[in-house]
Amino acid sequence: MTDDKDVLRDVWFGRIPTCFTLYQDEITEREAEPYYLLLPRVSYLTLVTDKVKKHFQKVMRQEDISEIWFEYEGTPLKWHYPIGLLFDLLASSSALPWNIIVHFKSFPEKDLLHCPSKDAVEAHFMSCVKEADALKHKSQVINEMQKKDHKQLWMGLQNDRFDQFWAINRKLMEYPAEENGFRYIPFRIYQTTTERPFIQKLFRPVAADGQLHTLGDLLKEVCPSALAPEDGEKKNQVMIHGIEPMLETPLQWLSEHLSYPDNFLHISIIPQPTD
Amino acid sequence: MAEESESTLQLPPSTAAEGEGPTEVSPETATPEPPSSAAVSPGTEEPAGDTKKKIDVLLKAVGDTPIMKTKKWAVERTRTIQGLIDFIKKFLKLVASEQLFIYVNQSFAPSPDQEVGTLYECFGSDGKLVLHYCKSQAWG
Repeated sequence: MTDDKDVLRDVWFGRIPTCFTLYQDEITEREAEPYYLLLPRVSYLTLVTDKVKKHFQKVMRQEDISEIWFEYEGTPLKWHYPIGLLFDLLASSSALPWNIIVHFKSFPEKDLLHCPSKDAVEAHFMSCVKEADALKHKSQVINEMQKKDHKQLWMGLQNDRFDQFWAINRKLMEYPAEENGFRYIPFRIYQTTTERPFIQKLFRPVAADGQLHTLGDLLKEVCPSALAPEDGEKKNQVMIHGIEPMLETPLQWLSEHLSYPDNFLHISIIPQPTD
Repeated sequence: MAEESESTLQLPPSTAAEGEGPTEVSPETATPEPPSSAAVSPGTEEPAGDTKKKIDVLLKAVGDTPIMKTKKWAVERTRTIQGLIDFIKKFLKLVASEQLFIYVNQSFAPSPDQEVGTLYECFGSDGKLVLHYCKSQAWG
């Protein structure tokens, strides 16, 4: 019988087999071989691609190298989005491995944020954690923690240490005994078909009558187009961490078990693949 | 709701489509204008929700960061934090290399590509979004 805690491990250790290829117009002194890597779904591109950078820089001259950036089928990949979200949203219907193109020139200023160092990833990650706790607990839990606890969250993520991370993160998943869940659920819903970057709104996990809100309830309220019409065909997949949770799943449970390390549920709405 | 002494000004639209380019108003010409009918001010009969295109932002300085003469602005929902940062820097005549940090709830710094409309939906109160700005990292 699967324990709920096993879900936490499955989410943390999810990996995406990826093939990195150097952009053909980059100037190299020798042929650049593709580089294969298993990417952690819950991490960020610029945090886990040092080896990729080193591999390609070996065949390039220093003067031809500036900030690294990644692209999939013409779309620049936002490093500040979790890797699993990028894959689910852009590439989940394609065959593995995930083919990513590596660039060292012509940084797309309008599409991507700069990532000057790992400190930028840490700052972004911690800000998301704080925003999530503002929604869940009016920031009370995150503010009560010491700086070293915040650091432990980051180090746990950076060093792929599940136990180190969850020793602190479990506190962010608690709620007062008299309540049935968090104050509001931290979520973001992404679709490639709309102009807006994502949908994020206030949404309570428990209804006024005490019933637990489900994933379906959330979608009906904030993104009804994602759901199939009453007697119509299913046009979309609602995907989190590469799976389609049942729409009847309580949102509070999803928030506690399927959130990313930043404590947000990052949900992708993608077209139903036609096999 | 208490009446603000400053009028609600419209934040000039950014010139770039998606990426936030520099705004058109130069600090020297930014004189207070009477609120136009398109500006959103508290207490008007505006329908709630997505039909309201602009939201009210109240800017508060932290520490020894210069205080903006006009603190209350009506901002399009799709304006990003980066766009707001660029505007404040111009208004305060900061040089491009000087950093400016913006905080919500005095607790987190939203990503530069975050839209103010989303922040208002989630963290607005009393019909406005309060943002603190600082030249150094105030709340890490």
